[in-house]
Amino acid sequence: MNRFLKRLHALWRREQLDRDLQDELRFHQEMQAEEEGVSAARFGNATAIKEACRDLWAFTWLEALWQDLRNAARTLARAPGFTIVTVVALALGIGANTTIYTVVSSALAFSMGVNQIERLVFVTATDASRRDVDSDSYADYLHFRGEVKSIQSLAAYRFISVNVSDSIGLPERYSCAQITANTFKVAGTKPVLGRDFTPDDDRPGATPVLMLTYHVWQDRYGKDPAILGKTVRVDEVPRTVIGVMPPKMQFPEDADLWTPLLPDLATGRDTRAVALFGRLANGVNLPTARAEMDTIAHRLETTVPESYKGLIVDVHPFLDAIGIYDSRRLLIAVVFAVGFVLLIACADVANLLLARAAARAREISIRIAIGAGRARIIRHLLVESLLLSCIAGIFGCLVAIASLRWFDFATSRSRRPSWIDFSMNLHAFVYLAAISIGAGILFGLAPALRLAKVDVNSAVKDGGHGAAGGRRGQRLASLLVVFEMVLCIVLLTGAGITIRSSINTYNSPIGVNTSNVLTLHINLPEAKYPRAGDEVSFHRRLQSKLESLPGVEVVSPASSLPSMWAQSLPYELENGPPADPSHLPTAGRLVVGADYFRVMQVSARRGRLFADSDGISGEPAVVVNQNFAAKGWPGEDPIGKRLRLVRGGAPQPWLTVVGLVPDIQQNFRNPLERDPLIYLPYAAEPQRMVFIVARTAVPPSTLAEPFRREVQSLDEGLPVFDVQSLEDHIATSRLNVSAFGILFTIFASIALGLASVGLYAVVAHSVSQRTREIGVRMAVGGSSRDIAILVLRQAMRPIVIGLAVGLPLAAGVTFALRAALVGVAPGDPVSLAASALVLLLAGVLGCAIPARRAIRIDPVAALRCD
Amino acid sequence: MGSKKDARGELVQGTLDMLILKTLTRGRQHGYGIAQFIKQTSDDVLRVEEGSLYPALHRLELDGLIDSEWGQSPNNRRAKYYRLTALGRKQLAKEAGNWGRLARAIAQVMGTA
Repeated sequence: MNRFLKRLHALWRREQLDRDLQDELRFHQEMQAEEEGVSAARFGNATAIKEACRDLWAFTWLEALWQDLRNAARTLARAPGFTIVTVVALALGIGANTTIYTVVSSALAFSMGVNQIERLVFVTATDASRRDVDSDSYADYLHFRGEVKSIQSLAAYRFISVNVSDSIGLPERYSCAQITANTFKVAGTKPVLGRDFTPDDDRPGATPVLMLTYHVWQDRYGKDPAILGKTVRVDEVPRTVIGVMPPKMQFPEDADLWTPLLPDLATGRDTRAVALFGRLANGVNLPTARAEMDTIAHRLETTVPESYKGLIVDVHPFLDAIGIYDSRRLLIAVVFAVGFVLLIACADVANLLLARAAARAREISIRIAIGAGRARIIRHLLVESLLLSCIAGIFGCLVAIASLRWFDFATSRSRRPSWIDFSMNLHAFVYLAAISIGAGILFGLAPALRLAKVDVNSAVKDGGHGAAGGRRGQRLASLLVVFEMVLCIVLLTGAGITIRSSINTYNSPIGVNTSNVLTLHINLPEAKYPRAGDEVSFHRRLQSKLESLPGVEVVSPASSLPSMWAQSLPYELENGPPADPSHLPTAGRLVVGADYFRVMQVSARRGRLFADSDGISGEPAVVVNQNFAAKGWPGEDPIGKRLRLVRGGAPQPWLTVVGLVPDIQQNFRNPLERDPLIYLPYAAEPQRMVFIVARTAVPPSTLAEPFRREVQSLDEGLPVFDVQSLEDHIATSRLNVSAFGILFTIFASIALGLASVGLYAVVAHSVSQRTREIGVRMAVGGSSRDIAILVLRQAMRPIVIGLAVGLPLAAGVTFALRAALVGVAPGDPVSLAASALVLLLAGVLGCAIPARRAIRIDPVAALRCD
Repeated sequence: MGSKKDARGELVQGTLDMLILKTLTRGRQHGYGIAQFIKQTSDDVLRVEEGSLYPALHRLELDGLIDSEWGQSPNNRRAKYYRLTALGRKQLAKEAGNWGRLARAIAQVMGTA
């Protein structure tokens, strides 16, 4: 260490050190001459001695590196145009990569601190008539828990939406997971504050308790540890806070709070409201667990046949249920796409360096001639490219920080789980550093190796021509361009197919007049509105209050909004073809107020719309959409026909079709899909969680505050959420599809620009190399057309090879994007053809300038040059 | 490395270090003085080449076994004087012990013949 410091000291005082050495040796020589009469000539080689001593003091490699760095900085400063272009291209590439990496890796951080999340499994039970419900009854839970061996400690949960009110602030709605007391033991996590649930907490009659997520503790209670033991009203039930879980923990998916799941919540085998999960026992794999659950299910089916006819129990990996895990392929495809952009940028910079290499061949050969080793030359050139890429990395970091801020801001309005954290963290910095250095080596190595192989003799003699610009240099450059073309075609196809998906999404009509509609969401708690009639009368009162506001035309409750999901239920038709009870058709079911269709400005095609009396008196009425009518009664008038829903295996009362309405989009996965729909009057099936929709005569946003006030004038503790116009709502849901289109388009445009520049550089360089040849051709009578064709043919070769290799690859890559495709199939020929065309056009443009230059070559001047 | 080696006065690397340290126990000395002292005390048998001496001095200085300072020589010239450090003294004691054992061992082996 001491030695290191001394050397460091010497490093700063180099000249002093040199002078001292000089003096010391001179003194020795003088003494020798004086005392022994020996001449200075007998003294050893003074320079060699000095060298040997100096080497002891120096960090040889470090100083060489420093020298290389200074040289590199000088070289870059001498070519500011080249430096700026490469730094900008690389900074964009590096910044985009870091941004996407951070976004994707945080979105994929779904393990939430759960220990070995891949060992967790879901247990689903379905039987003949309830195949659309993936859950189990509490009775099933107890039964399975008692019998199963391959899954250690089975747990159960269900999600509910709750209103939380306390003395601290305004009431708020949260997503609450009701869980069995063993849930966190199964997950393998412990609270950071307070205690975990105990078996005493989920017994009937237990004191109501509450566990908070870290983000609720932080945002609502300001991280106050005194919250433990305090009472908070959850859906009007006072609950004692017992603990806070660690940050990012929102098990099982996006819970805000946890309360114990009590057995009396869901009794009876036919109420299937809970989801089961557990951890695979040690040494057990999924098929074993599946087989054991199957055996248990068979036993159950024979002992209790009335409830379990056709029971199928299945075990799935827990990760399959996490939404983002589902689209992980898509996200990883985006990471690759943005990686391609950086690779293209690297190939471009490598090509620029190769072109510069021709000009530098002479400088390098002189260095070699005066004794620089090849290794030293390679190092020198690599230092130069690393300096370039590190400068780009610094700017890339700024790009990443800015775009992450934007990302964070843009997504802050949508509900996103707290474990998704869009900020530059240590991982992101490491990634940034790694890709910066990696890029520097990647684009620097090939040109450096080429230059180090320069033939000193010829390079010095012919002024650098033909040294690095020789046939092998050309081939390398063309290969890089082919590589760029391949990556480019893949990105273009990805962009094409996702753009087609977005266009399909935006062009698909919703089926209603979406302008001037205000929507909001409320949840009437059971404790305050225990009877079905309470909800109906609340909505009556709310409706009349809202309709009396100026600017409001008509108001209605609805179980869902257009473009959103509708619960799917099996049904039977009267006098229909006999259907297998286990394979009943299903339709989307919506519950709407009498004025819903007037709010949406949809009129009946046949029959009538709902009246206020529907659902209260008279024959039970139902309105169906055209798709349903066409499926159920093709070619017949649906009015007066009867149908009934089947719930829990039991047919419900018959409903008479009173009206036929046009199709409205209710499939959020695929906006092109028109599902068969059944509308029930609100009074017949009142809902706790309900949307309020209002047709307004003024811009809907101006009514958001008055609406909120009116709701709270009826019930002070009732939170109002998601107040927004229907147009905003639909725009948000469409953005999910078009986001990938936008990303791919940005990446593909950058890639196309970079690849065209790369092609341009190679063709332009080759034209300048072939000036004399072109001059000769012109002199012997070649026309401008011949020359243009000559240049174009050379330019087209990398494009054609790139297409031949890239198109099949691109077709394959589209399969990874399947989840984002709407109305287009993977391998879509239109997207492939369009991207090929775009690439060809860009290629022609890229070589138009060099071709023009070639045509204008003056044969006389060309032959005379050199 | 590149220095010429005299068959009579060839010094093993470690040995030269030891001799330098030993010389400096008599007080501070400059490079020329050290070479002269070793030559004279060994009756002209051990001759230290400048090519080995100065790199050895600088290495010992870097290792912290000796220290240096600039001073006036008796004939009024600026000279670099070297001095033993505490660390160097310890190192010398160790090396002298080793050397003594080695010399005795060699003498014993040679004496048996």
